[in-house]
Amino acid sequence: MTESRRHVGTVGLFDDPDSLLEAARQVRDAGYRKWDCHTPYPIHGLDQAMGLRESPIPYICLTAGFIGVGVAMWMQWWMDAVDYPVRIGGKPLFSWPAFVPITFELFVLFAALATMGSILVFCRLGKWHSPLHDSGIMADVTSHRFAVVLDRADAVYDRQAADSLLAGAGCQDIRPLYENEGDDGIL
Amino acid sequence: MSVTAPLDDRSQPLPEGSRFDRLQKTAYALVGLGALMSLVALWLDSERFAFGYLWGYTFIWAVALGSLFFVGLHHITHSVWSVVIRRIAEMFASLMPLILVLMIPLFIFAFFSTPFSLFPWTDMELVQGDHVLEQKLAYLNVPFFVVRGILFGGIWALFARFFVNNSLSQDNGEFAEQKTLRMRKWSTVFMPVFALTITFASFDWLMSLEPHWFSTIYGVYVFSGVAATGLAAITIAVVWLRSVGLLDTSVVRADHLYNLGALLFTFTCFWAYIAFSQFMLIWYASIPEETVYYIHRMHPGWLEVTVVLAFVRFIVPFFLLLSRPAKMDPRRLLLVSVLVLIGQLLDLYWLIMPALHRAVPRLGWQEVGPVVLLVGLIVLFVVRFLSSRRLTASGDPLFAKSVDFHL
Repeated sequence: MTESRRHVGTVGLFDDPDSLLEAARQVRDAGYRKWDCHTPYPIHGLDQAMGLRESPIPYICLTAGFIGVGVAMWMQWWMDAVDYPVRIGGKPLFSWPAFVPITFELFVLFAALATMGSILVFCRLGKWHSPLHDSGIMADVTSHRFAVVLDRADAVYDRQAADSLLAGAGCQDIRPLYENEGDDGIL
Repeated sequence: MSVTAPLDDRSQPLPEGSRFDRLQKTAYALVGLGALMSLVALWLDSERFAFGYLWGYTFIWAVALGSLFFVGLHHITHSVWSVVIRRIAEMFASLMPLILVLMIPLFIFAFFSTPFSLFPWTDMELVQGDHVLEQKLAYLNVPFFVVRGILFGGIWALFARFFVNNSLSQDNGEFAEQKTLRMRKWSTVFMPVFALTITFASFDWLMSLEPHWFSTIYGVYVFSGVAATGLAAITIAVVWLRSVGLLDTSVVRADHLYNLGALLFTFTCFWAYIAFSQFMLIWYASIPEETVYYIHRMHPGWLEVTVVLAFVRFIVPFFLLLSRPAKMDPRRLLLVSVLVLIGQLLDLYWLIMPALHRAVPRLGWQEVGPVVLLVGLIVLFVVRFLSSRRLTASGDPLFAKSVDFHL
């Protein structure tokens, strides 16, 4: 049975994290934007070696948190002072100290949900397939090896250049990456 | 990796000695000026002097006890990252014997309620016929107050001596393993003892200024400020010693600074949490004998102090330290640490002074004098420590691992 498949990128496998870090620096300096590293455990300094930009997630988290503060204050003001005003303990209808715990909780809730949601979006959840699943490298990079994966969709990608770039970085195991037609995933 | 930086070798004469000279001269000037102001205040207005002394005393107490807490926390959690900066915490913790000695004026203020009238419960004319204060006599009486003070101060001084001496003797590398294990073991005794002593000390020295009022969370409130103050003092010293080259920036790196910043951020938030918890429960229940405390602090004049306190202690440091790069930036850390120390002074002022200046807050040389004197004194002791000791616990078995700490 032969399925039609197309070439989508290049994988370079390394046996130790230091070689991976060096390769990542070279790939970064070659101007790649669409590429990734896969390692069995977090590696210190990989973010810098890959030249990753600052994540926007903290800003999303903080903004959502402050929206939560606004919503909580507005909601309690509307409930307790407008829609169903009940005087409790002789205190003003809008007694902000009593609203602080709920405001704090909504701050945390909105911030947490926005963080979770944005992580899912940035991880492109919804795409259920990656060519790496069929490539046979996943068992290795989740146990003892380290991979650099270059995406063909990258503006500077060229198959020969990618091979020689990885070989120049000391990679002994360079493999082309294929994807079956219809699987429709990217990296 | 150079584990022992050559700069840190105290067998050589200090190349940076002149920096300490300047600091030492400043400290002498502070002590001289503060002593002069204190003496005049004692002569002219002994009541304001007593309140000012308590203010300054509890401030330097917070620096020393907060640092001792940091050392205990380091040992009980088996921390690795903090080994490289532990000596700085030990430096402030070693002030504890001085704190014990400087407690003596508090006893004098308690004994002589007539010129000082610092603690109202020492004035028998006031206590007689006051049902609440009569009931509290079993605890709030001068002999027991003195015994407790000596007991608490003695416990802190002994633990400080134990932790600091064991750590200093590790510098020659003898039995370093065993000493670490011994300190780890005793830190588990220290922590609960610390919790009890700081709680009752804060009842004795601060809460008893308004002896009718009580709050069970008061000890935790004071602790949150003390812990932040210790961290701020440690951070200032670390950043300064790095900038003058006495702490190697390849030993105390951004990763270590980040942890200091994160802890400072934590205790800033913790203070706000406790402060608001105390306020909200009292406000909500609205029981007169409890709300009186906040009524004193929320009428015009004192309300401004309360609002500024919330900003200096929580809101401003919160935003200044929120981002990850900020927690690694020495200049930002220095700024926030100074702000936290100012916040602690303001917090103690807010806790102490409404008992004296009920109508409107007042701040004069009478109150400032003792603070200047006491701060000058601890700077003198810090200079003495800096010029005679290694500044890193390089004999600690975990030192190399600590240098290699990554976030």
